[in-house]
Amino acid sequence: MTTVKTVCPYCGTGCNMYVHTGSAHIAKVTPDLEHPVSQGELCLKGYYGFNHVADRRRLTTPLRRQGNDFIPISWDSALDEVAGKFSAVRRDHGPDAFALFASARCTNEDNYVAQKFARAVMGTNNVDHCARLCHSSTVSGLAQAFGSGAMTNSIPEIGEVSDLIFIIGSNTAEQHPLIARHVIRAQQRGAKLVVADPRQTEMAEKADLWIRVPPGHNIPLVNGMLHVVIKEGLHDKEFIDAHSVGFDDVVHAVESFSPEAVERMSGIPAGQIVHAARMYAGARASVILFAMGITQFSHGVGNVASLANLAVVTGQIGRPGAGVCPLRGQGNVQGACDLGALPNVYPAYQSVTDPALRAHYESAWGVTLPAKVGLKITEVPAAIDRGEVRTLMIFGENPLMSDPDLGALRKEIQKLDFLVVMDLFMTETARFANIVLPAACWAEKDGTYTNTERRVQRGRAVVPAPGEARLDWAVFSALAARMGYAGMNYGGAQEIWDEVRRVVPKTFGGISYARLDKLPGLSWPCPSEDHPGTPILHKDGHFTMASGKAQLTPVLFDPNVLPDAKTKGFTHAITAHVVEHADTAYPFILTTGRRVYNYHTGTMTRKSPLLEQLAPEERIELNPADAKELGVADGDFIKLSTRRGKSIARAWVTERVAPKNVFSTFHYWEANCNELTNAQSLDPICGIPEYKVSAAKVEKSSAAEAKSWRDWIQGEYRVAVERATNAVLAGRVQK
Amino acid sequence: MNRFVIAEPKLCIGCYTCEAACVDVHQEVGLQAHPRLVVTQTAQGTMPVQCRHCEDAPCAKVCPVGAITEADGMIQLNESTCIGCKMCALACPFGAIEPHGSSPLSQQMPYEPYVESAGAIIGEPLAPSAISAPLSSLLDWSAGVRTVAVKCDLCYFREDGPKCIQVCPTKALRIVDSESLSASISAKRRQTVAKTSQVLSGASAAENE
Repeated sequence: MTTVKTVCPYCGTGCNMYVHTGSAHIAKVTPDLEHPVSQGELCLKGYYGFNHVADRRRLTTPLRRQGNDFIPISWDSALDEVAGKFSAVRRDHGPDAFALFASARCTNEDNYVAQKFARAVMGTNNVDHCARLCHSSTVSGLAQAFGSGAMTNSIPEIGEVSDLIFIIGSNTAEQHPLIARHVIRAQQRGAKLVVADPRQTEMAEKADLWIRVPPGHNIPLVNGMLHVVIKEGLHDKEFIDAHSVGFDDVVHAVESFSPEAVERMSGIPAGQIVHAARMYAGARASVILFAMGITQFSHGVGNVASLANLAVVTGQIGRPGAGVCPLRGQGNVQGACDLGALPNVYPAYQSVTDPALRAHYESAWGVTLPAKVGLKITEVPAAIDRGEVRTLMIFGENPLMSDPDLGALRKEIQKLDFLVVMDLFMTETARFANIVLPAACWAEKDGTYTNTERRVQRGRAVVPAPGEARLDWAVFSALAARMGYAGMNYGGAQEIWDEVRRVVPKTFGGISYARLDKLPGLSWPCPSEDHPGTPILHKDGHFTMASGKAQLTPVLFDPNVLPDAKTKGFTHAITAHVVEHADTAYPFILTTGRRVYNYHTGTMTRKSPLLEQLAPEERIELNPADAKELGVADGDFIKLSTRRGKSIARAWVTERVAPKNVFSTFHYWEANCNELTNAQSLDPICGIPEYKVSAAKVEKSSAAEAKSWRDWIQGEYRVAVERATNAVLAGRVQK
Repeated sequence: MNRFVIAEPKLCIGCYTCEAACVDVHQEVGLQAHPRLVVTQTAQGTMPVQCRHCEDAPCAKVCPVGAITEADGMIQLNESTCIGCKMCALACPFGAIEPHGSSPLSQQMPYEPYVESAGAIIGEPLAPSAISAPLSSLLDWSAGVRTVAVKCDLCYFREDGPKCIQVCPTKALRIVDSESLSASISAKRRQTVAKTSQVLSGASAAENE
């Protein structure tokens, strides 16, 4: 039996683990006792979520679509065809007719090479990845406030230093169990916990103060807290004067958000707002943890900006245990952003529109680069519809499960001239592809991953890739070579990383593979080999803005569209409202998220029999009062519908959700909340959709109706997936 | 005294790692692949519920075939002797015993959870019939298993003790045995003395004034 240390492939916590292999397959996983974040623990996905690696449904050869079927082809002919089509679309329709979806599941090296391929080879900035759908509001909101869109502190500080933890819009116990562990450790030490969430999550249960925020009403809560802080003189005047600009505008903006006014607007009790404000501002070191419950709104950037205001005005930032911490969902979503898999920036967030920065990358890569900001993921469907994007390549992402309004997206994706999908399995997305390429997974590749606290860590290959599956970056290198670009001929992951270190030395220069092999990761920025890394950003109020000062931004909110009168007198305010409200036809509010057992679209976790046994199907959370009115018992089937689509699953009758609220996930194709979510309600700044608020209708259903709905959706989603998988498997067995 | 595992709701984050580990270790030794502790979420708190290994166990009392016995400081259930009468599940005051097994085909539920084709390991060819008629990967180990009672056995077969305690990331689970129980009782007695003397000395001080 051999043992290799690597990084857990699931959430952004970045736990380290030992993978033990017997024969050629993973036998078990054990935790790393010395890692500063996971400290000898793992969650159930870390321990038991590895079966997908050796699953016989893994793709092992390239496939070409033939009518409704897929036939195995050689890598040579697959690469020839893809390179030929990419060259043709670039020649006939221009570089911007191509778009690339990169992957937050893949390594820093994969993402660096992928975005370089889009920019240097294809000549377009149309490269983006699923961070658009999870934390793009954070990247925009925190960058404009602090100069950097990343978590400001390290995870162990939460457990060891913070006196007050304010969790807003994060289901930490389920989505980042090993970060929740640090929160529990803080509580054992006497720290206080304030949780703001529409649902009574595990963290809400453990909170000293839990505020039930109606979905979409975070801004009035945070503005209300700011109102109390300023009125009671709890703000840090010295810090504000020395380290920020724009305070007066914020004072003016929160004037109308008295606790009583917020209570009238949102139903949040005024006393709770006062209490939360005093606790947060009064603690020695307060830390804010947030996730999708802040970001996934049509006003996600406004939510993030209001939290940044709160931290700066109270001086709760730039010190050990005090800061603003976006908890990122995917293993390398931080890294994919850092390495430039975004349409507006090169690696290390260097703007593509800045001529000096562009010149730097042009000389590094030896090509002329496009100056136009590319398309965001959420803008691509409409661009396909208009015939502007004709060719799309997707790797390590399953948008036909994870993106909003799937009914519409299924139609749009079929309008493409050419779709290439590179993945581990025949996914709901791959079934629409013209060419499917087999990729090596996390356990089969070397490289680096960056966790949510900016800790760059070394991932290591444990087992060989199955069949002819290849490394993602190697496929982009091979395509580049075929398309006449010589600058992407790498000998291995380390060679790519060393290029990254040369190209962005200020951020990554000091993070070498040799150091990563000795240390439990290094947090960027780390400019030189003798630099210890930077666990805390903006230390002592020296923000990474050009001015060195934090930029406060007034955030205005009204549940409905703001009247012009309210926005008068503000030059750069963010205005926010909620797009959909409950009405007589759709009297419920649907809010969406994930559960602890599964990871996103389930392509990996649903291959684990153990996880599948514990959570075999979707359960929609429904409040007991609504259940009673509908005549629904726990475990009965309910039909959920919105203006976009419907889904049928069993009800989980629970007080976790408020009356007239329902909660559903996107783990199960059988009942996917993204059939119902809204793809049109985008944040005007970052383009994130409002996943968290949809007006919905709930009706009692039956097992028979559920079965017939599942049969239909199986045809829509799964028949092609399973037929292709089985055909490929049958071919393999015959061989 | 019988020992037992108990959870501290203040520490439990409802992550289900214990349930997964429980299934895993029991499956490995050929016992029912079913969790013997069940994470239960209520508005008042969350924790896994499992057997208390009662000193005068009602489940053992009602078992008609003597499948449940007290030995080695625990209540043991012999899955081979059990006839699946479910009386123990009715008698248990904690909801810690659950019948589990595969149901006959004729009793199939109208809506079974969907299961994809079996995920056997790459390189091991499956019979063609298995490909055309995918089998449930769950049924691979449970088909034809008669229903028996399933409850916590304190992982008696493991040298390291209960697996759930080992994997719990917040260390919310612990074993209570006679030593730890008497330690906790005597600690509480000391606290009682301290509190009582505080109260009484305060009272006598007041009397003296």
